[in-house]
Amino acid sequence: MPPSDPPLWDVVSVSKAYPGVLANDRVSIRLMAGRIHGLMGENGCGKSTLIRLLSGVDRPDSGEIRRNGTPVTLNNPTEARAYGVATVFQEFSIVGSLTVAENVFLGRWPRKRLGLIDWDAMNSRTREVLAQLDIDLDPQALTSTLSVAEQQLIEIAKAVAANAQLIILDEPTTALGLDEIALLHSLLRRMRAKGHAILYVSHRLDEVTALVDEVTILRNGRVMSAAGETAVQVDAIVSAMIGEDVKDHYPKDRNASADLVMEVRGMSSARGARNVSFALHRGEVLGLGGVLGSGRTEIARALFGLDPLTSGVIAMAGKPLRLRSPADAIAAGLALVTENRKTDGLFFNFDGRANISSASLLQFATFGFLDLKRESEEARRLARLLELSQGAVDKSVRALSGGNQQKVVLARWLLSQARVLILDEPTQGIDVGAKLAVYRLINALTAQGCAIVLISSDHDELLAMSDRIAVVRHGTITDIRMPKDLTHADLVRADLARADLVRAATDQNAEKSLA
Amino acid sequence: MKRIFDPQLMGPLAALLGVALVVALTTDRFLDAGNLSNLALQVSIVSLIAIGATVVILAGGIDLSSGSMVALLTMVLATLVKTLGLPFWPVLVSVLLLGAALGALNGVLSSYLRIPSFIVTLAGLIAYRGLALMFNDGAPMFSLHPGLEPIFYGKLAGIPLPFFYLVVFYTAATVMMNNTRLGREIYAVGGNPAAAKLSGINVRRVQTYAFTIAGGMTAVGAILMAARLNSGSPNYGQTLELQAIAAAVVGGASLAGGRGNILSTLVGALTIVIVQNALNLNAAPSAVQNVILGLIILIAVGLDMWRGEITRSIRRLFSHSPL
Repeated sequence: MPPSDPPLWDVVSVSKAYPGVLANDRVSIRLMAGRIHGLMGENGCGKSTLIRLLSGVDRPDSGEIRRNGTPVTLNNPTEARAYGVATVFQEFSIVGSLTVAENVFLGRWPRKRLGLIDWDAMNSRTREVLAQLDIDLDPQALTSTLSVAEQQLIEIAKAVAANAQLIILDEPTTALGLDEIALLHSLLRRMRAKGHAILYVSHRLDEVTALVDEVTILRNGRVMSAAGETAVQVDAIVSAMIGEDVKDHYPKDRNASADLVMEVRGMSSARGARNVSFALHRGEVLGLGGVLGSGRTEIARALFGLDPLTSGVIAMAGKPLRLRSPADAIAAGLALVTENRKTDGLFFNFDGRANISSASLLQFATFGFLDLKRESEEARRLARLLELSQGAVDKSVRALSGGNQQKVVLARWLLSQARVLILDEPTQGIDVGAKLAVYRLINALTAQGCAIVLISSDHDELLAMSDRIAVVRHGTITDIRMPKDLTHADLVRADLARADLVRAATDQNAEKSLA
Repeated sequence: MKRIFDPQLMGPLAALLGVALVVALTTDRFLDAGNLSNLALQVSIVSLIAIGATVVILAGGIDLSSGSMVALLTMVLATLVKTLGLPFWPVLVSVLLLGAALGALNGVLSSYLRIPSFIVTLAGLIAYRGLALMFNDGAPMFSLHPGLEPIFYGKLAGIPLPFFYLVVFYTAATVMMNNTRLGREIYAVGGNPAAAKLSGINVRRVQTYAFTIAGGMTAVGAILMAARLNSGSPNYGQTLELQAIAAAVVGGASLAGGRGNILSTLVGALTIVIVQNALNLNAAPSAVQNVILGLIILIAVGLDMWRGEITRSIRRLFSHSPL
């Protein structure tokens, strides 16, 4: 890249901290007009934070954002839009009850005199924009009747109609099929040719390498590899993403024994677990690896009595269980720490104590009356055990950091005396210290004979902390292997199963056209 | 020991004391023994029904049906005692059970059949008033039973009985919410139903219990209403449900569920009644009273919502002062 070429957007050494986490640590990135820039990294590496800074949702604590060389402050999303930044978030903002044209001009509908909406102008300008992008959609169609992919195209049309020069796409292909991904990519290439800058955020390597011109890789909030430093090529990116200093972060104790704790045979659920079979031993950590949406969460739900089984058996200590509700599962000694502690883990109207005791109220009840004193004592004992922050038992959990909130949730299941704990992304969004505490807790639990089912998209964590790893695809366990037989790259590639299919499909088409 | 669930009691209590002080200073007859005991009678029925309203709100629901249910239950009571001549005390027990059953019906429809409780109880608000009108050709019934009036006007050690009902029911409800498993589960379900379910709490059953308690408290209110004039009427209890909800809200309960406290509701009810009483004593027309009641609700909820901002700006004010 010629150095005389000034970047359209130049992010210079920005930092951003959230309570307990330094999400962006002196991150720099240069976005050039007419180029597609890939932003890569694992969950929690700071990608989303960088996007939030660029789209005006959050402001950096330090550092500078320059547009065409001039420093600018993006105080809110409206200002970012005025500077020509359009962001297509994972959950995009299409209003289903409005037409394509109404969405494209959402909030900026062309007006006639008297403030009436100029429908003709709006529809014809939408038609122009769609034609310019080669999108074959009727401006007057209701968006709720369109596919997810088509709705995504409308988001991009919206950006173009607003005259955006920088378009940021956050994991744009999670909900798309193969053809639709191809459609999106060809649209992005045309936009590149028209001189737009595109920031493409994804963790799907093959997809990215097929599309982008350069790539920036983040890890733990820092830039691990700036544009140009790493070739746009799968193996190079993987090694940059993995880094080398990972081993020390995982204090894994091996406590697995040969005693069977739980056995699952041919389990299928109404919600999407299919013919799942595995055994779980005393002190063992069984990792579940696989893509988002591969069915790991569905397996966890079925095990915890949330979704009725359509077939199969879950047995503990040799006895088959009948789990009609989480209450049954808890009584049988199961625990589920869900992926999203904010929506279905914590009670924000409660202090730490009531959050810890919520699954064990029966323990403290005599004829329905709670022994509040003993409840407090138990909560304090667990708070000490888990090194919860001072006073966390008496404070509303709203006031706690992500790590301490997670410890509160874990304390809940220690109190319920669970023998099998299902941990769904237990370290997501918490800082390194709290992660270490979670790992040490996993060690302590397994040392006491508990078994753990660990679901994690953090592959380092999964490889380091599991005794065995089950690979999940389409709701079923396809393979169970020892971590030493799997590499980080295997798991990253497993994530790309679908992207591999894209390539296969393209190859097939090529063969056909040759024939 | 510090109460876990009532950090909000102090605000409403301070407001109540402020209002009472202003009224006591500006209105001559306010502190008369006669007026105060009249006040206790006035506040008793709505305060008892407000217990149920609060429990339902804490569980994440809303009960609009209580006012009409009062009318229906007074007509049922009147018919059973007067027209059918059934024995008095068993009739009172039946009315209590019927109230609880109608509450349970609200609970089942909203939790198990997943019709929003606002809609279920709105239907009750309309339908129960209609049902009440089907008794005795829609006419009120008087002089029901000699045993009825003493329930409301009776005294113990010179203090009107309704005062004791308030003490007993508010104590019981406070103990239930703070010290029992059901109370904790009601807070949990109102605070985060998804997390409650994952904690093994039977969310639907807990919600149904909350509505059943509300139905029972409505029946208690209905019996007192019938006792006050020794009568039953399809017109009783108009807007009573809204007054009960207003008491809970002025007391700081969050309509989103999970936050609030039983005793604060009593404070809320007292605040409202004292203001009404002051307006009465100063001969304000009833139209004005309604406008002021509306304003009180707005101010109370507003103060609660903006509490953070208000505290901050007060602090800023003081930090700029030349001290």
